[in-house]
Amino acid sequence: MSSKDRLGQVLGYAGLILAAAIMLFPLAYAASTSLMTRAEVSTFPPPLIPADPSLANYAELFRAVPVFRWLLNSLVVASAVTLGQMVTASLSGFAFATIRFRGKALAFALFMSTMMVPWEVTMIPNYLFFRSLKLTDSYTALTLPFLATAFGTFLLRQFFMQIPRDLEDAARIDGCSRLRFFWSIALPLARSGLITLGAYTFLSTWNQYLWPLLVTNSKQMRTVQIGVRFLMNEEGLQMHRVMAGVVFFMIPAGLMLLWGQRYLVRGLMAGAVKG
Amino acid sequence: MRLCKRFVVFLALFALLASALAGCGSGSQSGGSENSAVKKVEIQPGEKVKVTFWHAMGGHNGEVVQSLVDEFNKSQDKVQVTAVYQGTYDEALQKLKAAGPEGPSMIQVYEIGSRFMIDSGLITPMQGFVSTDKWDTKDVEPQILNYYTFNGKLYSMPFNTSTPLLYYNKTAFKEAGLDPEKPPKTLDEFHQYAKQLTKKQGADVRYGAGFAIYGWFFEQLMACQGASYTDNDNGRKAKATKSVIDSKEGETILQWWKDMIADGSAANLGRKTGDSQNAFMAGRVAMTLESTAVLGNFLSGIQNKFELGTAFLPRPSASGNGGVIIGGASLWITNLKPEKEQWAAWEFVKWLATPQTQAKWYTQTGYFPIVKGAYDQQIVKDVLAQRPMFKTAIDQLRGTKVNTVTQGAVIGVFPQARVKVEDAIENTILNKATPAEALKTAATEITKLIEDYNKTTK
Repeated sequence: MSSKDRLGQVLGYAGLILAAAIMLFPLAYAASTSLMTRAEVSTFPPPLIPADPSLANYAELFRAVPVFRWLLNSLVVASAVTLGQMVTASLSGFAFATIRFRGKALAFALFMSTMMVPWEVTMIPNYLFFRSLKLTDSYTALTLPFLATAFGTFLLRQFFMQIPRDLEDAARIDGCSRLRFFWSIALPLARSGLITLGAYTFLSTWNQYLWPLLVTNSKQMRTVQIGVRFLMNEEGLQMHRVMAGVVFFMIPAGLMLLWGQRYLVRGLMAGAVKG
Repeated sequence: MRLCKRFVVFLALFALLASALAGCGSGSQSGGSENSAVKKVEIQPGEKVKVTFWHAMGGHNGEVVQSLVDEFNKSQDKVQVTAVYQGTYDEALQKLKAAGPEGPSMIQVYEIGSRFMIDSGLITPMQGFVSTDKWDTKDVEPQILNYYTFNGKLYSMPFNTSTPLLYYNKTAFKEAGLDPEKPPKTLDEFHQYAKQLTKKQGADVRYGAGFAIYGWFFEQLMACQGASYTDNDNGRKAKATKSVIDSKEGETILQWWKDMIADGSAANLGRKTGDSQNAFMAGRVAMTLESTAVLGNFLSGIQNKFELGTAFLPRPSASGNGGVIIGGASLWITNLKPEKEQWAAWEFVKWLATPQTQAKWYTQTGYFPIVKGAYDQQIVKDVLAQRPMFKTAIDQLRGTKVNTVTQGAVIGVFPQARVKVEDAIENTILNKATPAEALKTAATEITKLIEDYNKTTK
């Protein structure tokens, strides 16, 4: 390796480390704040490292609110919605991309036009619907409205459109059923799209606030985002406690990201070299 | 009390929806009925009535609410209360609008949501229970009771009550050669002190003053000058039809605020009260305005960093018959549930208003006791002996004359109006408009909001 290459590599890594540090700083600072005392948080200049780190804020957190139940709720809801969207979006996207049927253009346009309606507008009708079914305060209410979206359909349709028509024709001539083609050939090829959709859905569901607040009533059915809000006080922000909650609730989402990242990269690579 | 613009939009949406829904149903509105006494429904022996209580107290205060509820449930066997946290005041209110029959038996609503609640048709006025039960309101602090009394009728029971105070850093006062026992009394003095307290060390500045751009402070400083917020005596005599904040008094406040920012003796810390609190606790600003309810939070956040002082809100001049307006929230009993449940909720409301409960609430949260009897409780005496600063807020409240100015304005669009005022303050201190211009714009916009509201509610 020449010295010029090495220099380039060093510079490259330095840049990456800098970018990583910028990305990690807020997370590290949140973790550090969660180990401080009330008085230490509001000193100037703000200390980066707690003088006397203590887990007292976490103990307080576990004592004050049912964190594990909230975590479970969020995990169940986010996973169910992710799974549901992957199923519905891949099937409908596949249909719109490969099957010819009467009124397809119109149906697709209609489908896409629902993306123009902001979620906030349909929220109240949705709520009234669940109320009339007496389904509020349940996992059903938390997940059902999100199991199918136009966005997911559109995203996966784009991926399925990239599959050459000839491939399907060849498969069909060899006696492959449409569903089998979908399952064994199209789906693996659209894997990167599927995972992108999954990651996006999981995170946006995890971060939902208004809908879970609206449809749940009991403390046992709340999700983590409402939990974090509960830690805040109208009359005085107690950052040390809020940060303990934030850090704790971040762990599962962080693990999900670390695990998914591997697949994300592999999925993108597979897409890049397919011929 | 923090306000998010987005939620105001939602609130408006709900108001629309509610007016649409009101047309198709709910004939049994007891909210508007004139006779205040209601028939009492007794809870039979051996019966247990369930009551749902929605509240907006997060964090530490939320835990105190829960502990009070637990204590009440243990103290008797007729009523079982379930407390449910519903997010911020705004969120709880919008959820109430959407919930219909799934709503709570009682709900905590912030003071500026009062007009909205009265007009909502969702509530049974508290006066009915008070009259029928012959509950004595004599022990309730008159200044607090008055805020929630409309046309001589008590609509809701005050619960968490606060007023703004001037908090100052005594250690910084000593450093700057000021007497820490003589906090500023007037706006001019406040400005003078702020100048003296401002200290520059290189690029590092400790500002003399700094408080959030918060519409509540404007309302309070208006009341301190004896000025109204809307016509018809703050909407207390008849429904308000327009905003009158573009007055000489309003301009005085904005000019004072702007001058302090302009000469560098005060910092502009934005609209979030939390940011100003932190700056004050970190010793970056020497004086700040805040709710009485954050005193406990300040004490634990400051610890030994400096000595804390509390004083009355500064007035325009030493004299004047203005005062502070009550802030906080009150408890409303809804008409969504059977009468028996409403009476059960009243039992809980009554229990919360006892001196014993109020003493606990006060000492653990810093919100005022609503009844005078609470001050005779030993725990309150102990706290006042230990922390005389808690006394300032009480003195300020007791020194306030009861009139329509200090009763506070009642308009159905108060959350939105507050945002308009905050815009005006911001435009003034950023030199985008003169105080007169900014207030004129805000007043016009608020008047428009009031007109729209009056058109859509009867």
